[in-house]
Amino acid sequence: MDPAEVEFLAEKEMVKIIPNFSLDKIYLIGGDLGPFNPGLPVEVPVWLALNLKQRQKCRIVPPEWMDTDKLEEIREQERKLDTFTPIPSLYYMELTKLLLNHSADNIPKADEIRTLVKDIWDTRVAKLRLSADSFISQQEAHAQLDNLTLMEINTTRSFLLDSLNYMYKLRSNLQPGRSQDY
Amino acid sequence: MPCERKPMRYGHSEGHTDVCFDDEGKCIVTCGSDGDVRIWESLDDDDPKSINVGEKVYSVALKNGKLVTAVSNNTVQIHTFPEGDPDGILTRFTTNANHVTFNSSGSRVAAGSSDFIVKIVEVVDSSQQKTLRGHDAPILSVALDPSDEFLASSSCDGSVTVWSIESQTQVAQWKILQKSSDVSNAKSLCRLAWQPHSGKLLAVPVDLTVQLYDKNTWTHVSTLSDDLITQVVNVVVWSPCGKFLAAGTVGGNLLIWDVEAKLCIERQKHEKGFTVCGMAWHPSGVRIAYTDTEGCLGLLEGVSSSSPSSSSTTPYCLFLFYFDYKNNFKQSHSAVDDDDDDLMPATGRPRNRGSFLDDDDNSQDAGSVKLDGVPEEDGSSAILPAVGPAVSRPVYEGPMPTQPQRAFQPGSTPVHLMHRFMVWNSVGIVRGYNDDQDNAIDVEFHDTAVHHAMHLTNTLGHTMADLSQEAVLLACEGTDELASKIQCLHFSCWDTHKDWIVDLPKGEDVRALCLGQGWAAVATSALMVRLFSIGGVQKEIFSLPGAAVCMAGHGEQLLIVYHRGTGFDGDQALGVQLLQLGSKRRQVIHGEPLPLSRKSYLAWLGFTAEGTPCCIDSEGVVRMLNRTLGNTWTPVCNTRDSCKSRSDHYWVVGVHENPQQLRCIPCKGSRFPPTLPRPAVAVLPFNLPYCQTTTEKGQMEEQYWRSMLFHNHFGFLSSSGYEIDSEGQSQAEKEQQELLMKMFALSCKLEREFRCVELAEMMTHSVVTLAIRYASRSRRMALAQRLSELALEKANQFQEEELEEEEPTYQRLAWNSGGSRQMSSRQAQVENGCEEEEEEEEDYPQEEQMDAEESTETRMPSKYASLLKLNREGRVNPFKVSGAGKSSSSPAGQPRTTNVLDSMTVSSRKPTPLGGTSKQGKAPVLKPLAPKPKSKTQATLLQMSASKGSSKKLENSQTEAEKVKPAPAATPPASVENVENRKPKTGFQLWLEENRKSILTDNPDFKEMDVIKEGMGRFRTLSAEERLNWTEKAKGDSDPKKRKREDEEQLNEQMESDEGSAKKKKPLDTSAKLSAFAFNKE
Repeated sequence: MDPAEVEFLAEKEMVKIIPNFSLDKIYLIGGDLGPFNPGLPVEVPVWLALNLKQRQKCRIVPPEWMDTDKLEEIREQERKLDTFTPIPSLYYMELTKLLLNHSADNIPKADEIRTLVKDIWDTRVAKLRLSADSFISQQEAHAQLDNLTLMEINTTRSFLLDSLNYMYKLRSNLQPGRSQDY
Repeated sequence: MPCERKPMRYGHSEGHTDVCFDDEGKCIVTCGSDGDVRIWESLDDDDPKSINVGEKVYSVALKNGKLVTAVSNNTVQIHTFPEGDPDGILTRFTTNANHVTFNSSGSRVAAGSSDFIVKIVEVVDSSQQKTLRGHDAPILSVALDPSDEFLASSSCDGSVTVWSIESQTQVAQWKILQKSSDVSNAKSLCRLAWQPHSGKLLAVPVDLTVQLYDKNTWTHVSTLSDDLITQVVNVVVWSPCGKFLAAGTVGGNLLIWDVEAKLCIERQKHEKGFTVCGMAWHPSGVRIAYTDTEGCLGLLEGVSSSSPSSSSTTPYCLFLFYFDYKNNFKQSHSAVDDDDDDLMPATGRPRNRGSFLDDDDNSQDAGSVKLDGVPEEDGSSAILPAVGPAVSRPVYEGPMPTQPQRAFQPGSTPVHLMHRFMVWNSVGIVRGYNDDQDNAIDVEFHDTAVHHAMHLTNTLGHTMADLSQEAVLLACEGTDELASKIQCLHFSCWDTHKDWIVDLPKGEDVRALCLGQGWAAVATSALMVRLFSIGGVQKEIFSLPGAAVCMAGHGEQLLIVYHRGTGFDGDQALGVQLLQLGSKRRQVIHGEPLPLSRKSYLAWLGFTAEGTPCCIDSEGVVRMLNRTLGNTWTPVCNTRDSCKSRSDHYWVVGVHENPQQLRCIPCKGSRFPPTLPRPAVAVLPFNLPYCQTTTEKGQMEEQYWRSMLFHNHFGFLSSSGYEIDSEGQSQAEKEQQELLMKMFALSCKLEREFRCVELAEMMTHSVVTLAIRYASRSRRMALAQRLSELALEKANQFQEEELEEEEPTYQRLAWNSGGSRQMSSRQAQVENGCEEEEEEEEDYPQEEQMDAEESTETRMPSKYASLLKLNREGRVNPFKVSGAGKSSSSPAGQPRTTNVLDSMTVSSRKPTPLGGTSKQGKAPVLKPLAPKPKSKTQATLLQMSASKGSSKKLENSQTEAEKVKPAPAATPPASVENVENRKPKTGFQLWLEENRKSILTDNPDFKEMDVIKEGMGRFRTLSAEERLNWTEKAKGDSDPKKRKREDEEQLNEQMESDEGSAKKKKPLDTSAKLSAFAFNKE
């Protein structure tokens, strides 16, 4: 799974837009969307929101948590605790990136938000690395990691699994009986 | 005393605060522990001017444009007011000062500090200081007496001391306070206050009371207390007239005493019960500002006004009324008592919403009213200038006139804002910018398909705007040189000249404007409304009975609200006119009063997207015109109910009836939104203020009437020739009837049978049959019987209307044969009834043949019986069905025929002429086979009233007369034969035929009616088996395809299959209703 796929999954999240066109309900496999009334907020999936935004057919209303005060609070919380704190959206990183890249003009304090989310991300990923490190150094068999988002898991998965594999191989090589096989 | 406590609003961060008014009372000045001094234009001022004066501010005083603050850096500073520039340091202490105060003339400042010292400093020359030493603890408060002779101070050492300023010695000292080590530990702030002007009394808050000391003798003269006070008094302030004393306590109580009478005339409680630590009386004496230790600012409005209680206890007040007529302030009435030498104003101001609370553009005016009107207190003169001539006039105690509200554009924010919404409506947004760099107007459309966004430079200084799908209308008021102008950007114009400008005559200003479809209207200061075509052609002008408040346009409708007269006690007296422009021009509402909430003003006026007039007042109550109840206004929503805090409001931008949406912008802590960040629209539901909406009954009633009200527009639209959404209408119909059915079921469950019948009266015919079935199934035979009467009555009534409306056969044929025309559910429902009517109608001639002077009583049973058996291909008669269903499913186990007969015999009140006479009588007014709109009107008729129908009828009678002619003449004879042949007979009929002779021989003088009556009696006496036999016979006689009615299920199926070909709606409808029953039965 690469980040693009995770991002793809994130695009199913709902976000509010204010359309500037009028359209009746549209019936899609995933559910009905609309009706779209100009000027009236309506919830649509991110993929549609971005598409409409690119065609200048709507303004995107940032999700509630995409607010400097709330993010600052989360950042502080994240820095304070050793464990992962619950995050307001399972796709916070992807959504931030998508929304800020495509509709920064609709989001107040876009730059600050970008920085804050990056901070939160960094903190969390650092924690993840740290715990992976202690997991390996203490040779634990299992570990519990709550409140991780898909993207976070994804960043470390291939690396962690591969390295565990290699370590396993190396360790098994160390065993006297096996080493003679080679 | 009608004093109004305004909602608190956040002013400073938590901690000690202080408050004062400026000399004219235009601004409230507060300070707080955040180190800021804030200058509030009004309580609703969302952008108070902030001056940072230090880290913490302990006390603030303001006089003659000097703002003195006691700051945490141990200094007492001066700032200029209102600019807020630092103007030097007045004095320093070794620790911070706790209280600063001016003398009455503003020449000196006294400050008491935590280093036990009191200083008196000349404002102009800060080197001239007098220091008073003698307290043994931090000074709590200082007060200079009006004659500048004495200074009173209170201290944490438990003493209140009076000093002679000149000699800097103690004159008197009372150890009356509780001792404490520091200000922060002190129980009370113990703010002292001298009575203004005379300085005769010194008020000292002592524990739970306020004690008054006499200046001449330095003795305690009286104590003011009240049962409400449970915690120590913190602050006392005198009213500017010196008659009243206000106190604020630690527990958040606010009290006002009439000092003379020692009577507590006002008791208010802080909304959260926080400690009141700052109080200030407005120079006019009508309001008190107060702050609490949580940093919030509040206002008591209308204190010491001329209410009966206060005027009875204080007959010696001066009342000054100022009316604002075109900015000329005239003192129209003033009165003062003659035997009191303290002449002071306790003004009863004409405005209940003073400038401080007026968040809209009225405030501008109000400020100046006060400025010109109320005598300023310079302090140097204790007696006020305005008082002299007024002596000896009688005191006016009646209601106070309200300042008429100013004209406004619905959906705009106040004009004085630099960045404002000039209009926000369902089409788009017009924003006005008027700052240093730019004077511009931005037009933006919600739907970019209408037009792209526009940016205009506002060289003319437009302040009013309206926006429609076709054009932008802008207007500015005139100046000395320039006339008032109207500019229209007609962007939908197909030629190259997309805008036009019109100058109004000299001296005439635009007050309000609006756009409709193809026209624009402008109300001017000359009490005139000018109509223009959208292309700029001047059209009608007409006069208004009063100054326009605002206007709104929609399609061909023009809604104008104007001042009908002077309102009193805070109410506005507004009138409303609704005009229909376009082809049939008329005035729909002729200047009736516009209902508003008490003490509120109009905040929004407009139409729903569907074209129903709507208004919203400052209390947040949304009212909608109810066209079916004689153009009355129904409150449909109170936006304040949805607000989280009292200072929050909803700023409405649009009202939609279908779907029911109130589109508005939530504004935190203000009445209107700022332009940035871009506000988001929220949708509120409507909620009619019905009683007991917590109960199921109340809820359903509310829903029903809301649905009725919000679907009135269908009738209006179709009657004015617009296309309507028949789908939506049918939905609404269904919803309403379902609700009625649910209510019916509920009442049934509660054994409220009378109520059931009342509900059934509101139902359509076809639903009544369902109700009958429900009633009979739940073993309420009496109810079922009454309902069947009702059903018959309805059927007849409906038939009459039907006949007035049109020749039904044609319509029926059209319906049944194609379905090519789109049908509304009304139609669908009506159809059922309709067909029944037709059948009835067809039956009549036959009956008439049978006996000429029959009564319906006799006629109906046979006809009904026949109806029940009748099952013609492609014709559906749900009434028939349910009638049968009822009897068959009736758990009472009565034979069906009996039941039918029972229900029929009671139907005697039906008028006979239905078939014959009424048909003939009404024939000339039948309607043509008009397609859509007609049938809709008919629907309305059915449900609402006949009034509309009759008016329509008149209009169309001429044209229809001809078309209709052949119909009644031709059809009846034709159908007579048919029906005669086809008509199946009931068992009773068969029996009757055979037994008629015997009856007649028994009673030779019987007429037909009596024969049938007698026959029925006899038939009933037969045994069940015999009757069954007859019925069987009858069955054999009649159509072999006749359905079996024993089984409810079968019946439904049949119905479905029957109706399937003709229309799809009905079966669904029925099943939905049935499911509703199922739900309700549990």
